[in-house]
Amino acid sequence: MVIVKRKELSLAERLYLPEIARALSMTFRALFKPKVTRQYPEEPLPKTPVMRGQPRLLMLDDGKSLACVSCGLCEIACPAYAITIDGHETERFIEREPERFEIDMLRCILCGFCEEACPKDAIFMSDELELADFTRQSLVYGIDKLKRPRAALQQRIDYFYKANDRWRKRSSTS
Amino acid sequence: MSVVWIWILKAVLIYGGVLTLAAGMTLAERKVSAWIQWRIGPNRVGPWGLLQPLADGVKFIFKEEVLPEGANPLLFRLAPILAAGPAMMAIAVIPFAGDLTIFGVHTTLSITDLDISSLYVVAISGMGVYGVILGGWSSNSKYSLLGGLRASAQMVSYELSLILAMLAVVVLAGSLDLRVIVADQAGSILQWNLWRQPLAFFLFLVAAFAECNRHPFDFAECEPELVGGFHTEYSSMKFALFFLGEYCAMIVMSSMLTTLFLGGPEVPFWRAAPWFVQLAAFLAKTSVFLFLFLWVRWTLPRLRFDQLMRLGWKVMLPLALANVFVTGLVASF
Repeated sequence: MVIVKRKELSLAERLYLPEIARALSMTFRALFKPKVTRQYPEEPLPKTPVMRGQPRLLMLDDGKSLACVSCGLCEIACPAYAITIDGHETERFIEREPERFEIDMLRCILCGFCEEACPKDAIFMSDELELADFTRQSLVYGIDKLKRPRAALQQRIDYFYKANDRWRKRSSTS
Repeated sequence: MSVVWIWILKAVLIYGGVLTLAAGMTLAERKVSAWIQWRIGPNRVGPWGLLQPLADGVKFIFKEEVLPEGANPLLFRLAPILAAGPAMMAIAVIPFAGDLTIFGVHTTLSITDLDISSLYVVAISGMGVYGVILGGWSSNSKYSLLGGLRASAQMVSYELSLILAMLAVVVLAGSLDLRVIVADQAGSILQWNLWRQPLAFFLFLVAAFAECNRHPFDFAECEPELVGGFHTEYSSMKFALFFLGEYCAMIVMSSMLTTLFLGGPEVPFWRAAPWFVQLAAFLAKTSVFLFLFLWVRWTLPRLRFDQLMRLGWKVMLPLALANVFVTGLVASF
């Protein structure tokens, strides 16, 4: 058993009034403190390449086709079953591309497994975070909403390659 | 123009001003609370959020009215009126400024002048507790009932000290008329009752906080323990009326503090100030107390209920009685 020793209060403290005056002076000084509020839409959060935003598909440099070959590995890796892919053939040198590539943004948990699973470096976690609409259906993003030019994802791609360099080197030598 | 029309004009103008002030207080409360917590506060509706009360009002009007099951429909609807009505009625006798002439009619800037105006204010503002009790009782909810019970106990305990503190001032002035009390304090700042009756001022201030159900005495609401106290079950414009009543009561009590202790509309060092300067002086003095209401709310924690009762009966009441006794002795000899 522990006997807690209470501090003997002085008369001034038992009267409360000096303490109330002290508290009031403290809150009055707080009125003029610099504000900590972030005015969100005007003042967005700082973004770093480490941050995993919503996944986006990388477009090839020709500006038309995707880097994706619809292998389906991200679909399997996805723990939330957010990705749906239907592939088809093309006339290009790379013979396959997705006909349908949908990510249900309401299911996506931004874990980044799809990015890790991708053998063709075709899907990356972008720095886009905002997600709001009026229907559930409109938040299932298709290819037209997911594709991004290389410039938009460059920061994340560089970071991703840097972070994974050690694994790449080992696999290339063995 | 006849006297009746002047009366109606004054009533419309003063009530318009007071209701605008009450709406402004809702914004001021949010702003002050934000600044004290290092935040910015509402700033989206209009410049610096100035139109926020308007947006809130529109929202309140369009909200659904809920009548709880088992509630007494008549009393449930009557309670908000009883809460807001008396607070607004008490404003009628507050002397906002001295003599003025409108359209050739010589009058004073208060809706009416009574011989017993200070008595009228405490009598009417004491009725405000009926709204709280009835609101709590008719909601058929345990939280509301507890809030109403606490409010009634608190009001009875603190109204005594409030009136006794006022009595000391009345003894000094020798009249219940607020205008006479103001005239009694005219002259220099040292004539203010704040210096002649510091204890009465302090007691009145603390009792005014309890009378308005404001922190640290907001036992009628008491969000953490009683959800929302007496207005737990209220929604829409009925809830807004309770709020309006609370802010009007704050304005009345601040005006009374100004009138009784800070010389009302008297301007220091300028005896014959015109009425608009007097009005500005009155508003400046009143806004000091209005700010104090907000400031204290965001500084002090709520008392426990037994502490509140002990403070009311064992500290404030004996002090107020002793104050009246000593003042009476000094005044009679």
